[in-house]
Amino acid sequence: MSGWKRDLPIGLVVLAALIAAPAFGLPRFWITTVTVFFIWATVVSQWNLVFGVAGIFSLAQMAIFAIGGYTTAMMGLYLEWSLWLALPVSGLLAVVFGAVVGLACLRLTGAYVALLTLAIAYILFLLIVTDTDCVYYEGTVCRSLTEGWKGLGRYGDYGFRDLFGRDFHLGNYGLALAVLTLATLFSFAIVRSPMGLAFRALRDNPGYAVSRGVSRFKYQLLVFALSAFFTGLAGSVYAGVFSVIGPNVLQLGLLLFLLSMMVVGGVGRPWGPLIGAALLMLVDETLKEEAFAGYRNIGLGLILAAVVVLLPQGLAGGIDNLARRLARRGGGAPGE
Amino acid sequence: MDTAVQIVVSGLTLGAMYAVGTIGLSLVWGALRMLNMAHGVLIAIGGYFSYQAIDGWGLPMPVALLVAMLAGAAMGALIYFCAARFMFRNEAFENNIFIVTFGLAIALENGILKVFGGYPLAQPFSLDGGFRIGGVYVPWQNVLIVVVSVAVMVVMAQFLAKTRMGRAIRATAQNRDAALLMGVPIGAVFAQVLAIAGSLAALSGVLLSSITTLSPQVGFDPMLKAFIICVIAGLGNVIGALYAAFAMGLFEAAIQFFLGVRFALPLMLLIVIAALIWRPYGVFGKKQVTRL
Repeated sequence: MSGWKRDLPIGLVVLAALIAAPAFGLPRFWITTVTVFFIWATVVSQWNLVFGVAGIFSLAQMAIFAIGGYTTAMMGLYLEWSLWLALPVSGLLAVVFGAVVGLACLRLTGAYVALLTLAIAYILFLLIVTDTDCVYYEGTVCRSLTEGWKGLGRYGDYGFRDLFGRDFHLGNYGLALAVLTLATLFSFAIVRSPMGLAFRALRDNPGYAVSRGVSRFKYQLLVFALSAFFTGLAGSVYAGVFSVIGPNVLQLGLLLFLLSMMVVGGVGRPWGPLIGAALLMLVDETLKEEAFAGYRNIGLGLILAAVVVLLPQGLAGGIDNLARRLARRGGGAPGE
Repeated sequence: MDTAVQIVVSGLTLGAMYAVGTIGLSLVWGALRMLNMAHGVLIAIGGYFSYQAIDGWGLPMPVALLVAMLAGAAMGALIYFCAARFMFRNEAFENNIFIVTFGLAIALENGILKVFGGYPLAQPFSLDGGFRIGGVYVPWQNVLIVVVSVAVMVVMAQFLAKTRMGRAIRATAQNRDAALLMGVPIGAVFAQVLAIAGSLAALSGVLLSSITTLSPQVGFDPMLKAFIICVIAGLGNVIGALYAAFAMGLFEAAIQFFLGVRFALPLMLLIVIAALIWRPYGVFGKKQVTRL
């Protein structure tokens, strides 16, 4: 397939560069930032399957992410499991949750799906934030199941501190990179499989697709469940890397940030999420500088709005168009 | 008995405010097929302009209300001229405008934060005192809210039913292409609808912040509730939205009383989810048959 012929070499070069980067003395601050980029890029690449490839306007991705993260944290804290054991369990629970969300949205289309999934995410947020009922006492300190605003902590990490000592952040970097690599391969494989064709058929012309025997029920559940797995894993990695997880992962600002990554990169384009995530992380780091203090969210919001209005196919779409135009001009040159 | 009166009083107040906020959202959806995620920030803008007009510029309350509504209308029109105008012919308009207004909302909200700070402010648009029904104290503020809301709704209904502009809006909502062919200037209608919706949102923001407090995020919960009401009524169904708004207000007051504030919004959202699964086109909506 010509797609793989182009994408595999590019992917391998990028992967090699990312593996080599710490060895060539990438500063510790940037290693941590890039680790965060890996986590968000994983989420966005899976969200892109639902939102871009299947065309379902779901905003539940961060809720699925939170389910993964909280599952890992609670297993570590209450069952005292190793996080390595909690990792796959988090992914599977996220799949179950994703499938339920998909089931709830089954009969809805367009904006109604967006509202329903936003409502689900917000319920989760409200229930966590207002959770103050004590489940156990630590001395005289009341501890609630999710610890409300504060979030859960003290459930351990992926053991890189014992393994690498001071350089534990390299372990986090590697783990997040591994998850991102698998997630990206997974999303490319899905897009180019017959299943991806069915997703796109249902997106582009649902009536025709259904009358040709493509089951909406089956494929909508599939895309929600499949895209939830790596999202849940990303949540679990996040919980392990930061050693704390709170309701802030469900806040609108973060949802908007990730949505911007997808939209800026190019909705429905396989490379879109990675390009968008990398660019938005850079913009975000720039806006965090003191000169822009307080303008971070204003900038992000305006960038998002401007890109949708001016460049509706995103950067990946823009690059594709440019390449096509150049190729046409190059091909036409001898005749002129 | 007192409990029932209490629930009815606060339920009607809430319902009246929700109704004003919801009509705007419902009109915009009906005419433009656009979910306006900036609705919440328009609510906040109304509240802050009224605050600024009364406390900052020393204007009397009715004028401040007008200032707030004008500011909301200007913001609504701005959304049309800066974003929607370039997009509504596009096929993916429904999804794209959602994202654009989402982005604008975050930017504007943080703009307010920058100008006024995040510290909650008291809305000066309020009346002191009250009266008693049996053992229940009814503040004049609640009466004011209900009266202003009902007055605005009556004016809106007359406007939509009787005026040329109202007829153009209804025609566009019913069938955009047919309206265009009959010579209705679609662009102007869209701008008007967004301006009207903006001023209604601003008005509901003034009323709402008068019984809570004013903060940059003040509009988010009401926006979600307005969406809930729209969805239950069927998006774009203005009359259904009015009934649903009052039903929701009473329902919320009852839940707050019996189960506590914590569960009010989650339960309402759960009801919406159930309603959407049971009747995807809204409780008052009609099932649409699409020809392929």
